[in-house]
Amino acid sequence: MSVVELRGVGKRYESGAEIIDALKGVDFSAERGEMVTITGPSGSGKSTMLNLIGLLDEPTEGTVSLRGRNVTDFGEDERTEERRSALGFVFQDFHLLPMLTAVENVELPSMWDTSVDRHDRAVDLLRRVGLGDRLTHTPDELSGGQKQRVAIARSLVNEPEVLLADEPTGNLDQDTGGTILDEITRLKNEEDLAVIAITHDEQLVEYADRVVRLVDGVTRT
Amino acid sequence: MRIASLLWRFPSVLMAWRNLGRNRLRTALAALGIVIGVVAICSLGMATVALEQQATAQIGDLTNEVTVSSGADSDTDGVTGEQIEEMRAIVTDARVIPQKTNATTLEARNGMEARMSVTGVTDASALYDLTEGEAPERLQSGALISNATADRLGLESGDPVEYDGRIYRIRGFIESEHSFGFGGGDLVIPVSGLADQRHYDTVTIIAADGDAAGRIGDRLDTRFNTEEDEELRVTTFGNRAQVGGFLDTLSLALLGIGGISLVVASVAILNVMLMSTVERRGEIGVLRAVGIRRGEVLRMILTEATLLGALGGLIGALVSLATGMVLFHVITGDATGALGWASSRYLAYGFGFAVAASVLSGVYPAWKAANESPVEALRG
Repeated sequence: MSVVELRGVGKRYESGAEIIDALKGVDFSAERGEMVTITGPSGSGKSTMLNLIGLLDEPTEGTVSLRGRNVTDFGEDERTEERRSALGFVFQDFHLLPMLTAVENVELPSMWDTSVDRHDRAVDLLRRVGLGDRLTHTPDELSGGQKQRVAIARSLVNEPEVLLADEPTGNLDQDTGGTILDEITRLKNEEDLAVIAITHDEQLVEYADRVVRLVDGVTRT
Repeated sequence: MRIASLLWRFPSVLMAWRNLGRNRLRTALAALGIVIGVVAICSLGMATVALEQQATAQIGDLTNEVTVSSGADSDTDGVTGEQIEEMRAIVTDARVIPQKTNATTLEARNGMEARMSVTGVTDASALYDLTEGEAPERLQSGALISNATADRLGLESGDPVEYDGRIYRIRGFIESEHSFGFGGGDLVIPVSGLADQRHYDTVTIIAADGDAAGRIGDRLDTRFNTEEDEELRVTTFGNRAQVGGFLDTLSLALLGIGGISLVVASVAILNVMLMSTVERRGEIGVLRAVGIRRGEVLRMILTEATLLGALGGLIGALVSLATGMVLFHVITGDATGALGWASSRYLAYGFGFAVAASVLSGVYPAWKAANESPVEALRG
């Protein structure tokens, strides 16, 4: 069963007289253990699609399902809970909090959750991405590749089933990008993740099990 | 690291503390605004307490006294013995001290002369404090003389003074500063010395406190006087409540001025919090994306505002305490007076107002940040 499923999803933005259909009737699904990349030119709707899968935004038509549940009509608080428990995010700009150490950044998603202590999990994840000796470094003491590793560890701290990556190698050079993709692939297998990444990057496409091409808000497989 | 692990149990506090540490200058300036507001409130409040204590100390001797003299419609030229008996019957809870007064000229051995008032009174100890020894409970013989007059005329203890053909030996010296309420304090002799004056000129009644004095005054007024007929003039010096009432108004006005500066400071905090949440828009978007709840973002930013207020309030209270001690030293001469609850409670008020104003200022920025759509926020 698909962990992520979009059925006939459309997203329409209205600003004044202008109406933009960013997505038009998109069908999409992803399984655990597979890496899907979504490619396409700028403005093709890649980010919109990732935001919808990531429950950061609501579709104007169609249904979004996560772990077999229809989450289309979830309110903001329910979507927050789903993001917290099932989804991990990796961004192009890393988006680490500058005043927190590496391990604190990794613990961030569970910080307010007093019922679980994710500290050991956070340390373990940082070791697994090769940053065991950088636990108490702040982001400005880390290189771009190291920051992205911290971000990957953060995305996995809550043991999600889906990892969403927005141009994860976009701010990294070729070699660093390659090691980051190796890292993601390894963690995908270890944690049985569905990885959905949007990219321009041909290198990332090589790592994908499946590629979805998006043009003008419509998928072309 | 240990502090951090303790703070880890209070994630909002940890995050708020770290956020405040990111731009120390801005944090310091925002806190400085609060410090100034708190100092303004506290030191003005404490100044009024110091003034009030000083004023009470100065007029304290007066406010518990009732002075009675002959009224405008009286047939006699003084207060009669019968009237005094009646007063004693009415006023059972305070001492009734009748006095006869006159004026005389004393000549010293060195040829110096001084014009002075003469008071005849039996119960001298209730009215006068002496620089040495105790005033006699019943003044039957001998005289008391004011310190200043004795100095001027070179009189010493045991020296004779003459009044109305009789000689009195000086038995004590009256502290000059005491009792500016009634004029006669220069020379005090037994009341028998003024026997040719039939009636008493004044009667002083010493009550327990200002309120009691006011009640006694009212009772005497009702007993002896009607609206058309004033037999006795009853004077009270206004009670503490009236003096306190004036000072309360004064302190309210001063606190108002201090309050304005705190309002200005909280507007500054509002501005700082708004700016910092706008700057951190993307960051807050990330928090929301990784599953931090709206309420948790709200708490984090409210905690930031609260910490700012508490920091500024604490420093402000400490500075105010120092200022208050200086004020008390200057006004009352006793710096430790600032530590009394009457004045130190303003430190608590100032701190409380600072925190409350800061929390209020944080509400809107926190609400705004927490309720922004994560997609919009992530766009930066």
